[in-house]
Amino acid sequence: MTTTFLRLHTQPDVPLEAEAISPVAIAGLSELGIEHLPVLHGNIKAKIGDFFKVTGKGVPDILLEGDLGKIKMIGAGMSAGSITIEGNVGMHVGIGMSGGEILVKGNASDWVGPEMSGGRIVVKGNAGHMIGSAFRGQAIGITGGEIFIHGDAKNEIGNSMRRGLIAIGGDAGDFTAVNMRAGTVIVMGKMGVRAGAGMIRGTVVCFEDAPMLPSFEFSCKYQPLFLRLYLIRLQENGFENKITDQHLNGKYRRYSGDGIELNRGEILLFSR
Amino acid sequence: MPEVIQSKPKEKKNIKIVKDATCTFCGCVCDDMELTVDLDEHRITKAKNACVLGRAWFYEHVLEDRPVVLIDGKEATLEEGMDTAAQILVDAKFPITYGLSDCTCEAQRVAVDIMDTINGNVDTTTSVCHGPSGMAFQGVGESTATLGEIRNRADLVIYWGGNPAESHPRHFTRYAVTPKGMYIPNGKKDRTVVLVDVRKTSSTPVADIFVQVKPGKDFEVLWALRALVKGKRISKDIEEQTGVSREMLDDLVYRMKNCQYGVLFLGMGLTMTRGRHFNSGAVYSLAADLNEFTHFVAKPVRGHGNVTGADNVVSWQTGYPFGVNFNRGYPRFNPGEFTTSDVLARGETDAAMIIASDPASNFSRRAIEHLAKIPVITMDTKETHTTKISKVRFAVATYGINTGGTVYRMDDVPISLRPAFDSPFPTDQEVLEGIRQRVKRLLTGSKARTAF
Ligand code: SF4
Repeated sequence: MTTTFLRLHTQPDVPLEAEAISPVAIAGLSELGIEHLPVLHGNIKAKIGDFFKVTGKGVPDILLEGDLGKIKMIGAGMSAGSITIEGNVGMHVGIGMSGGEILVKGNASDWVGPEMSGGRIVVKGNAGHMIGSAFRGQAIGITGGEIFIHGDAKNEIGNSMRRGLIAIGGDAGDFTAVNMRAGTVIVMGKMGVRAGAGMIRGTVVCFEDAPMLPSFEFSCKYQPLFLRLYLIRLQENGFENKITDQHLNGKYRRYSGDGIELNRGEILLFSR
Repeated sequence: MPEVIQSKPKEKKNIKIVKDATCTFCGCVCDDMELTVDLDEHRITKAKNACVLGRAWFYEHVLEDRPVVLIDGKEATLEEGMDTAAQILVDAKFPITYGLSDCTCEAQRVAVDIMDTINGNVDTTTSVCHGPSGMAFQGVGESTATLGEIRNRADLVIYWGGNPAESHPRHFTRYAVTPKGMYIPNGKKDRTVVLVDVRKTSSTPVADIFVQVKPGKDFEVLWALRALVKGKRISKDIEEQTGVSREMLDDLVYRMKNCQYGVLFLGMGLTMTRGRHFNSGAVYSLAADLNEFTHFVAKPVRGHGNVTGADNVVSWQTGYPFGVNFNRGYPRFNPGEFTTSDVLARGETDAAMIIASDPASNFSRRAIEHLAKIPVITMDTKETHTTKISKVRFAVATYGINTGGTVYRMDDVPISLRPAFDSPFPTDQEVLEGIRQRVKRLLTGSKARTAF
């Protein structure tokens, strides 16, 4: 078999922290071995087998089935392989991942890809708050990798991110790219208020008009060449319906900021 | 020596005077109360120095005749109540405790210890009032002072997003506006008071300058002020955006940079509106920026009597102020994930211990629905919506009136309580200690919870 198949048979009553559902943890294990891997059910130690039926040896491609909305930390620390989730997923999916790919076919909860440094997370549905963000108290968010959300996402996307690419196919909440160090956030729908507050460097792109903070300043209207490359790559990766030729060839209004910080960041608003 | 004649009280009443008692109704924690207590009727008949809220707090306190413990609505003994509560907590996979802002620090520390023992989740009412300030504080730090220092030194006082005249009536007179201080010899005459709010309130007349901000635009104004303090440009449409003119902002910046000692008081108008922790963060950052020019501090104006104590106790026991989870055997802090309103709304907990708080009356509908489904243990001085849906309900004595202990004022100064008279009800601390003892007994030896 080429995939390890995990089917949810018992829904957890309280949140389940399952960092063991990750290619690094299951590598080389037998079905029984995988079923015995530890998970944390609330404050009780449990096994993967208490909740999932496992089929297939521990190959690094995992297929998960069931509503995993209460299951946290899937794909923790993965560096290669793939995880496909046929349904929703809980918080902290892909925490600390450095390589490989996670595909969520349903919706994701808050904190998608915290502490990420490489690899890719794709969410076909909507996602919650804090996508690719730093944890509270951390100075730096994600340091690499790609997060593609095809639906909407809520507040604080890319909080304090240092590097990497976050693309939101739908709308974004408030404080997108707040305290951003560097990296790129592309929002194809509407963006909430106070985008880029406290940003030092980095790029925020939005296809719709967005309110600007008083500390951001209009610099020019131009056609950023680098953006074409980014958008073509996103077109090739499932965003072909959202990105039109107009977006590729059109002009963008550039605002520089945050004036309170270094003023090396930019917000690019599409202006046809 | 002249003979000392003891004057007899006019009536034969059993009256006691408690000097320097403390009012625990709001975060001001005024400790200059003089209470006249009628020991026969178990009532406070006079509370000298108290404000309207404080007087209501003292006068309305009567000893109700109600059972100490109810289990499933039936009367039970204290022992049975504590046994059942301990069993509920030990059986739960994701037990939470919430409230804690209206009891003493001594009780709070026991509650934290219980959750530490059973690997539960600790959260306080901070998460629904100034929790965002706690998060901002962690993010950007805090330039702080005690209210005593502010009273003696501050010549520029800015209230942002609050209405102390109604919520903390003595804040103006005791600490920050009218009192004479060491370097503020003429009281209010030596101070400039600025009030920033989205509408005029009963606090507005106190202010020398009133700044009216469009609702939901506080962050933009704060950000513009930060930029101006740093000598940066701001966009020209600032008045259109926020309702505050450029002249007003320039004037404020001039005053802030040129005062001797400035203070920014943040109210819940900042922490509970759009932007939340970033609003408080912007205030803390503004105060920090201003320290390049003069001395400037920022302080949240805290609501409940001992909510500051809850922050302090939870912090020194776990390292974090609220929203702390012990599931793994060590503390983790993540507001949004481990804060009670979110945990309940997502239906994640299977037992709750609510201490001196009424989430069933002010949480979201989904959260309340979940609360009604799970076993709830409550400790409260009066009947509330939450006590009504609880499985085990303890009636406890009122802190500050019936029990002593320690309470933190909003500026993190600990104050000891002087109770007025005894109560037939046990204290929160006694009940919690009983539960703790039972929980520890149930979880000894091989059953002890360890780290994951
Ligand atoms: S200001 Fe607050 S603490 Fe002081 S007397 Fe009034 S209610 Fe009590």
